[in-house]
Amino acid sequence: MQEEISRAGIGRRGLLLSGMALALTPADVWAQVAAGAPLPDRHRTLVTRVCDLVIPDTDTPGAVKAGVPAFLALAIGHGISGSNAPVAAALFTGGKAPAEAGILDWLSFELDLKAGRAFLSASPDMQIRVLTDLDSQAYTRGNEKSPWRTLKGLIVTGYYTSEIGASQELRFELVPGRFDPDIPVGPKDRAWSNDWTAVEFG
Amino acid sequence: MSTDFDAIVVGSGITGGWAAKELTEKGLKVLMVERGRHIEHGADYVTEMKSPWEMPFRGVGDPQLYATDFAVQSKNRHFTEYTQNHFVNDRENPYSVAEGTEFNWWRSYQLGGRSLTWGRQSYRMSDHDFGANKQDGHGVDWPIRYADLKPWYDHVERFIGVSGQNEGLSSLPDGIYQPPMALNVLEKHAKAAIEAKWPDRRLTIGRTANLTQEKEGRSACQNRMICQRGCSYGAYFSTQSSTLPAAQATGNLTLITDTVVETVDYDAKTKRASGVSVLNVKTGERRRYAARIIFMNAGAFNTNHVLLRSRSAAFANGLGNSSGRLGTHIMDHASTVGAIALFDSFQDRTTFGNRPTGIVIPRFRNLGDHAEGDFVRGYSFQGGALRSAWTRGKREPGIGAGFKENLRNVGPWRMVLVTFAESLPRETNRLRLDPAKVDAFGAPLLQVDFTHGENEHKALTDAGKEASAMLTAAGGKVIMSLNRPGVGGSAIHEMGGAMMGHDPRTSVTNRWNQLHDVPNVFVTDGAAMASSACQNPSLTYMAMTARACDTAVKMLKEGRI
Repeated sequence: MQEEISRAGIGRRGLLLSGMALALTPADVWAQVAAGAPLPDRHRTLVTRVCDLVIPDTDTPGAVKAGVPAFLALAIGHGISGSNAPVAAALFTGGKAPAEAGILDWLSFELDLKAGRAFLSASPDMQIRVLTDLDSQAYTRGNEKSPWRTLKGLIVTGYYTSEIGASQELRFELVPGRFDPDIPVGPKDRAWSNDWTAVEFG
Repeated sequence: MSTDFDAIVVGSGITGGWAAKELTEKGLKVLMVERGRHIEHGADYVTEMKSPWEMPFRGVGDPQLYATDFAVQSKNRHFTEYTQNHFVNDRENPYSVAEGTEFNWWRSYQLGGRSLTWGRQSYRMSDHDFGANKQDGHGVDWPIRYADLKPWYDHVERFIGVSGQNEGLSSLPDGIYQPPMALNVLEKHAKAAIEAKWPDRRLTIGRTANLTQEKEGRSACQNRMICQRGCSYGAYFSTQSSTLPAAQATGNLTLITDTVVETVDYDAKTKRASGVSVLNVKTGERRRYAARIIFMNAGAFNTNHVLLRSRSAAFANGLGNSSGRLGTHIMDHASTVGAIALFDSFQDRTTFGNRPTGIVIPRFRNLGDHAEGDFVRGYSFQGGALRSAWTRGKREPGIGAGFKENLRNVGPWRMVLVTFAESLPRETNRLRLDPAKVDAFGAPLLQVDFTHGENEHKALTDAGKEASAMLTAAGGKVIMSLNRPGVGGSAIHEMGGAMMGHDPRTSVTNRWNQLHDVPNVFVTDGAAMASSACQNPSLTYMAMTARACDTAVKMLKEGRI
């Protein structure tokens, strides 16, 4: 285990520098991973920051105020979209990772690697650049299995199924009462979050 | 409670409800036996009014629970956290599949059965369909034609309420409809483009058992599109909204739930079924009920299962199985995504409300004298046009305020055509009792042995090309087209096994849906189907049921059964 962590190189440094993990040895960290703790302290701050970067407060509250970090903890704890599966070693661009590394370990490694330091200690501008870079790469052809697609999918789901996301950022009407087949729509019109067929197929 | 009835109806789903209604209204004392729990209309639709944020898993559901308890059901797109209480627990209700095969058997064991969870599409079969087996030699000839069922289609549509548009097509006979739901702006455009290029094709709104006008204490549809949670408005046809209250109003119905029919019992002296043996799945108590006639409405495969289990000296291989064909020639529909296309047009137009039906492009292949393509029979498309929702954010790059701003608006138009191809009746596609595996009560599991054949693959290949051509003609850019069918059962149209036919040596049920061998047992659910057509089949099951009830009561009165 120690050997593998060392070979992870910058990933290991990033892990040790990221947030709450400072007092832990690598063995402690991986023991937690193996135990399947859904959102250990060392990840909570990172998840909150990343949620905020993906869907920030604007004229409506963003992902953090909508409680998305807690949804992510639940989702990963129960494996929604396969998010509790170990991440394949090959997906760690920073070097070989232990077999039991989870999706948030991957995120932490990759962000630290791209930042060249602990992501959470980087400036907000740099965090945006780093996450934008990670996001762009994940959505290029050939990267369909990127764990980031899974995580971002959960953030999007968590936000637009929250009361804030569904009914303040978008519009929600459980009982439309009628069907209008052809009405005008402009750039300032908010979509309906409960257009169920579009949610499923769109 | 009395244990003697005029009739016993096995099952309370789409056809069981109909049998109970028709038989009680004709004055018979009827016992309806449902294996699942009681679900009270309205009061027990516990998730109906929930918003996503009120659900523990936001409507997505708990994958850990699904892995242990709903391994098959959770593959169904209608199965969600809102609807999981309307599907069976796979762990508690196992079945098996033949080695090397797969089958998704999606089930609802509860009062109302799959009438609570069905897709509500309601189509008549035509003489193209009833004549197909005779014409091309697959399966056995149907002993009925459209004219036999037409009055019963009328009867059923009048009662359940179907909204739709008459089109005068030979492949999809017209019916008695409430006003149709509306095509949206892109669907209207696509209709015009497709019909201009292919005059023999028609795009029309789905004929759906959702009311567009109030009807006998049932409200018009509220355009929520959350039907499978249960609808306290009673706006779609279900046992609870429609047939059960009618049956109960007669005072002739006795309903028991949590009770599975283990066997239909046979009296070798009278050569009639004498009743059913049941098991209360909560208490473990077993008992018998007697009746003059039995209606098998357990759902196609479970009707087969009960008959296969009903073994006696006279019928060692299952009740009514002197032909050896009970359980054979099972079918589904071969279904896949014909095509999905993106559209640049109508970006300043959208829709409001959730219409609970899509569009249909009825069968247009192989209707004339000459064969088209390298396959027999045909397929139809169902689908629709929509503007993408927030879920597109999962597959698009972007973070931050711009990403959020983009998802605030409706997304691009897309149109989907899903293919449903006819499944040919084949003797090798069959059900049998599992030779080794048993359920918690010691009963042999039902084993499904099913694969789609070459004809279905060819039909889907043709359909993929045609769907792509039609969406392209409408101005779309096709982004996906598939031609491999989903696993058997995926259309949730599993049927057959007790097929109707003229000849007792080659079929299981006759033209009145009676077992050839045991004339007081009527099989009127999907088990009786001799071919699948490519239409959604439930309306045909209802019409067959109503027709058989009429016949059964006449025969009873005349002392013929």
